[in-house]
Amino acid sequence: MDVFTAAEEIMENALVSVLSYRTQSGRISSHPMLPLYSRERKKLYMTSSILFSKKAEHIKKNPKVGVLFSGRQFIKLPSYSALHLKGDARVIEDDLHDGWSWLVELWRKKEPYIESFIKQRVALPLFWERVIIEITPREMLLWKNGVLRNEPLRWKA
Amino acid sequence: MTTEISLEEYSDIVVSYLDDDGYPVSYSTTARMEDGKLVVEKPAGLNPKKQMTVVLNHITPLPTGGYTDRRYVTMIGEAEIRDDTVVFKPAKTYGWNEKTKPFFQYCEENVPQAKQYLSNLSKALGREIKARLPTSQLLFRATRFPFLTATAGPVLVGVGSAAYLGFFDPILFLLTIIGASLIHLALNMTNDYFDAKLGADEANITPTPFSGGSRIIQYGLLTPKQVAGMATLFYVVGIVIGLYLAIQRGLVPILAVMGLGVFISYAYTAPPFKLAYRGLGEIAVGIGFGPIVVLGSHYVQTQFFSIEALLASIPVGIMIALILYVNEIPDSPYDAAAGKRTLVTRLSKESVIKLYKALLTASYVSVVIPVVLGFSPPTALMVLLTIPKAVKTVKLVRETYGSPYLMIPALASNVQVATNTGFLLAAGFFLWAAINFLL
Repeated sequence: MDVFTAAEEIMENALVSVLSYRTQSGRISSHPMLPLYSRERKKLYMTSSILFSKKAEHIKKNPKVGVLFSGRQFIKLPSYSALHLKGDARVIEDDLHDGWSWLVELWRKKEPYIESFIKQRVALPLFWERVIIEITPREMLLWKNGVLRNEPLRWKA
Repeated sequence: MTTEISLEEYSDIVVSYLDDDGYPVSYSTTARMEDGKLVVEKPAGLNPKKQMTVVLNHITPLPTGGYTDRRYVTMIGEAEIRDDTVVFKPAKTYGWNEKTKPFFQYCEENVPQAKQYLSNLSKALGREIKARLPTSQLLFRATRFPFLTATAGPVLVGVGSAAYLGFFDPILFLLTIIGASLIHLALNMTNDYFDAKLGADEANITPTPFSGGSRIIQYGLLTPKQVAGMATLFYVVGIVIGLYLAIQRGLVPILAVMGLGVFISYAYTAPPFKLAYRGLGEIAVGIGFGPIVVLGSHYVQTQFFSIEALLASIPVGIMIALILYVNEIPDSPYDAAAGKRTLVTRLSKESVIKLYKALLTASYVSVVIPVVLGFSPPTALMVLLTIPKAVKTVKLVRETYGSPYLMIPALASNVQVATNTGFLLAAGFFLWAAINFLL
C-alpha cells in the first residue's frame, strides 16, 4: 500500500487528530480536532464552532497547517501507523448556520449520535454556528507502527 | 504547572514545531518528567526546533462509536535539542478537562470569543452576520415557553374552584389562560431584558435550562430592543384580553387583579422596583402566580371572590415561588456579584434547605386544612401524591447544591413537584364538580 492510500485509511478512521497552526506571535498552537476526510474531494475537513474560533482567525492569516493522526486507541485500523500531514487550509465561513451540514455524513461515522445533538441546537445555538476548515494535503509523513527511530515514509503533492 | 500534570492521564503526547518551509510539523512521542521539564523523543529524519508546542491529549473511545472523557493540555515553551532526546521547558500552559469544567460551561465561557468572531466577520463582509435559530426554536427559547405550566396550574385551580362551586364557562376559561400566559411570556422577556441590562445574566457562566435566563440577548439571537418589543406585544395582547374579560365579567375587580398582576410581572426585574434584586422576587412570584392568577381566573367564571379560591391559591403560590427559589441556587454566585440579592444569596446552604422544607410542608398543610374545614373537596388530597417526589427532590437539591449542571435533575424534579401540585389540586376540584354534576 502506498503512503497516500495508507494515509487516506488513517484519516478516515481516526477519531481525533491534532491541528497545528502558526499564531500571529509566531508560536505554534495545537488543538485536538475531529478529522473528516473526503475521498471524493481528496481533502481533509474540520469544523469549528465560532465559540472556539481563534484558530480560524489565525489560519486565515497563515493557512499553512499541520495535522497529526496518532494514538493507537484513536485509530480504528488493524495495524497502527502515525501520520503527519502538511497542508494548505482554507476557512469557509459563507454560511455558519448550515454550510457545514454536508459534513454530517462523514461526522456520523466518527460520532454516531451527532445528529441527536444537532436536533437540539436550540440548547447550544452558538456551538452550532460553525466554520469549515478545508485542508489540501501538500506533504505527508508516515511512521509505520508509530516508531519514531525509523525514518518516516514520505508523500508529496 | 507542568509538575502538577500527570502524564499517565493522557493517551497521546504530541510535539509540534515550525518547519523550515513554514508548515508546522508534529509527531507522537513517549515522554517523562524531569525537574519540571518534559523529556521527549527526537525522531529520525526530523529536526525539531527550539520553539516548541506539546499537546497532551486524551479521549476515551466508546464501544458504540464516538468518545467521551475529553481532556487536553497545550504547553508552549522552548526545547533543548540533544542527540536522541528533546528536553522541553513549558512557559505557557492551557487546556480543558471536561471532568473539571463541564462542556456547557466551557462553551459559555467562550461566548465573548464567538461574538468577537461574528463582529470581525461582519466588518470583513460589510454586512451583519448573526447567530440564528429557526423561528419556532427561537420563540421557544426566547419566551422560555415550557415555564407556561406555571401559569396553567394556577389558572386551572382558579377555574376548578369555580367549577367546584358550580360555575364553568369553557370560552372564558380559554380566554383567561391565553391572557394570563401572554402576561407570563411578557414577564419572562422583561426579565431577560432587564437582567441583561443590569448585568446579572451576562455574569452567569453556568446557565442551565432552568436558570440563568434564556440567553438570547447574550448570544446575539435577538437585540435588547427586539426583546423589549416582543415583551410589549405580549403585554398589550394580554391586557386587551384582560380588558375584554373585565368589560364582560366585572370591570373593577378584574382590572384590579390584572393591574396588580401586570405590575408585579414588570416590577419583578424592572427599575426602579427590581423586586428580584431586593429579595422580594419570591414573595412577588408567590402572590402573582398564587392569589392573583387563581382569584382572577375564579372571578372571571363566578363574578365573585371566594374563600375556596383564596385558600386554594396558597399552596399554588408557594409551589410556584419554590420553582423560582430553587432555580436561584445555581445562579446565586452570579446574582450576588451583580447585586441581585435574591433570597438564596442572603442565606447559607443549610438555611436555604430548611426554608425549602418548611415551605413545602406549609404547601401541603395548606392543601389539607381547607379540606378539613370543608372549603376544598376531599379529592384535592390527591396533591399529597406528590410528597414522595418532593422528599426525593429535597434530597437531590441538598446533594447537588452548588454544582449547577449536577443540579439540573433536581431543578427539573422541583418544577415537576410544583406543576403536578397545581394540576392535581385543579383535578381534585374538577373531579368533585364532575361527581356532583353526575350524581
